[in-house]
Amino acid sequence: MPPRSRVTVSGHRGTAVLALALVGLAVSVYLLVDHYTAATPLACPEGTVVNCQRVTTSPQSTVMGIPVALLGVVFFVVLAAVSRPAVWRGLAPWAAWARAGLAAAGVVGVIYLVYAELFLVNAICLWCTAVHAVALALFAVVAMDLAADPDQLRTGFAGPRVRSDGLAPP
Amino acid sequence: MSATVKGTRRPSSKGDRSARHQAAWAAAARRRQEAERRRRRILAGAAIALVAAVLGTLVVVRLSTGAKTADPGPAAGPVSDELIRAITGVPAAVLDGIGAGSVDTVPRPVAGQPALTAGGKPLVLYVGAEFCPFCAAQRWGVVVALSRFGTFAGLGASRSASDDAYPNTATVTFHGASYTSDYLTFEGVETQTNVRQGGGYGPLDSLTAQQLQTVRTYNAPPYVDASSAGAIPFVDFGNRYVMVGASFKPQLLAGLSAVQIATALADPSSPVAKAVDGSANMFTAAICELTGGQPAAVCTSPAVVAGRGRLHAAA
Repeated sequence: MPPRSRVTVSGHRGTAVLALALVGLAVSVYLLVDHYTAATPLACPEGTVVNCQRVTTSPQSTVMGIPVALLGVVFFVVLAAVSRPAVWRGLAPWAAWARAGLAAAGVVGVIYLVYAELFLVNAICLWCTAVHAVALALFAVVAMDLAADPDQLRTGFAGPRVRSDGLAPP
Repeated sequence: MSATVKGTRRPSSKGDRSARHQAAWAAAARRRQEAERRRRRILAGAAIALVAAVLGTLVVVRLSTGAKTADPGPAAGPVSDELIRAITGVPAAVLDGIGAGSVDTVPRPVAGQPALTAGGKPLVLYVGAEFCPFCAAQRWGVVVALSRFGTFAGLGASRSASDDAYPNTATVTFHGASYTSDYLTFEGVETQTNVRQGGGYGPLDSLTAQQLQTVRTYNAPPYVDASSAGAIPFVDFGNRYVMVGASFKPQLLAGLSAVQIATALADPSSPVAKAVDGSANMFTAAICELTGGQPAAVCTSPAVVAGRGRLHAAA
C-alpha cells in the first residue's frame, strides 16, 4: 500500500478518535454539571426501565466518593489530549500506549457500569448509554488502528517511515 | 535491475534471474505482510466481538431473570401536630439569619403577563406528584413560606417513590390539603401517587382547565428552560415568577425522617435549614410582590428584602 494512503487512513482514525472523545467529553460534562449543580431533572424519560435520575443518583454513581461523571470527563480529556493530530502523528510510543490503555480501561468501565445499571440500579440512563457507546466506539477504532500499525507501540506512529516501495523497513 | 562484479557487467540472463528472484522475494514478503495484517485485524475484531458478547450476555441475563419488583411506595398519612408546628412555626429570627441559605435555584421572573388570580386574590399554583423526589424536597420550602401568609389544614405525610431517584425522600403532600389566607390563594396539585401502576404511578389529582392552561403556557419556553419544560415540580407565583425543579438537591434529605427534617428547620446551622429555609425566603420574597408587601412584618424582614434582591438579580 502506498505510504500516502497509509498515513491518510491512520489520520482518519486519529480524527475519529478525537471526535469521539470530544462527543464523550460533552456528554460527560453535562452529566457532571447536573451532578453538582442542577436540582432539576435531566432531559430524560423517567420510566421503570429508562430513568436517568435514578441511575445518576444511585450509590453506583460514585466510585470512592468520586462521581463517575467526573471520571468520564477526565477519561475523555486525557484521551482527546493524546489523540490530537500533532500527538497522533508524532513518534512517541507513550501516546500509542496511552490510547490503548485508556481504550481498554474505558471498555472495562463500561462493562461494570452496564452491569451496575442492569443488576444493581435496575434502570438505564440514556445519557450514560450515549457515553458508553462512545467509549465502545473508541475502543473499536483504537483496536483497529493498532492492528493496522502495531509498530506505533514501539516507535510511535509508523506511517511516515514506510518505504516508498510500500514495504516495511527491515 | 542489474548488478556488476569488478566493473564487468554480468550476462543479461543471470541478471534476469536475479531480478526475478528479488521480485519473488518481494512478493513473498508482501504476502507475509498481508497475512500478518490479516491476523492482526482478526485479533482486533475478536477483541471487539468479545466486548460485544460480554455486554450482550449481560443484557440477555437481565432480560431472562426479569425486573425486580419495586417496593410499593408508602401511602400518605396524617401529619402529627408536632410536625405541623415545626414546619409552620420556623422562627422569623432563624429565617432572617439564614437568608438565601444554600439555595441552588430561585424563581424566574415573568414579565408582561396577566396576573394569575383566584377568588380575587393572587394565586400560587404548585403542580407536582407524590412519587417525585424533587417535589418532595420543594414542598418543605413552599409550606414554610406559605405558612407566613396563611394556614394549612389536612397536610399529609408522604415519601417519594422507593424505586426512583433519591428514594423515600420524606415530605408532606398537598393532596387533600387546604389553605386559607387573607392575602393569597394557594392550589396544590399532586397529579400522581408514589405507588407503581403499570409503567408509571397511579393517578391522583386532576388539573382544572385553568391550571392546565397555566401549566401549558408557563411551564414552557421562554418562561423556563427548554430542557426543563413540562417537568415537575412547577410553581407559578401569580404569573410574576415561575419555577420548575427543586431549589436544592433532594440528596440533602436522604435518610432523614419528616420529623428530623422539620426539627432541623429551626437550627440555623443545619444544612437542611440552610436549604429549606433559604428556599422559603426566596418564595416569600416572590409572594410579597403579589401581596403588595403584606403582611408588612413578613415582607420587610431582612431575609425577605434580601431575597427580593436575589430574585431581581436573577432577572
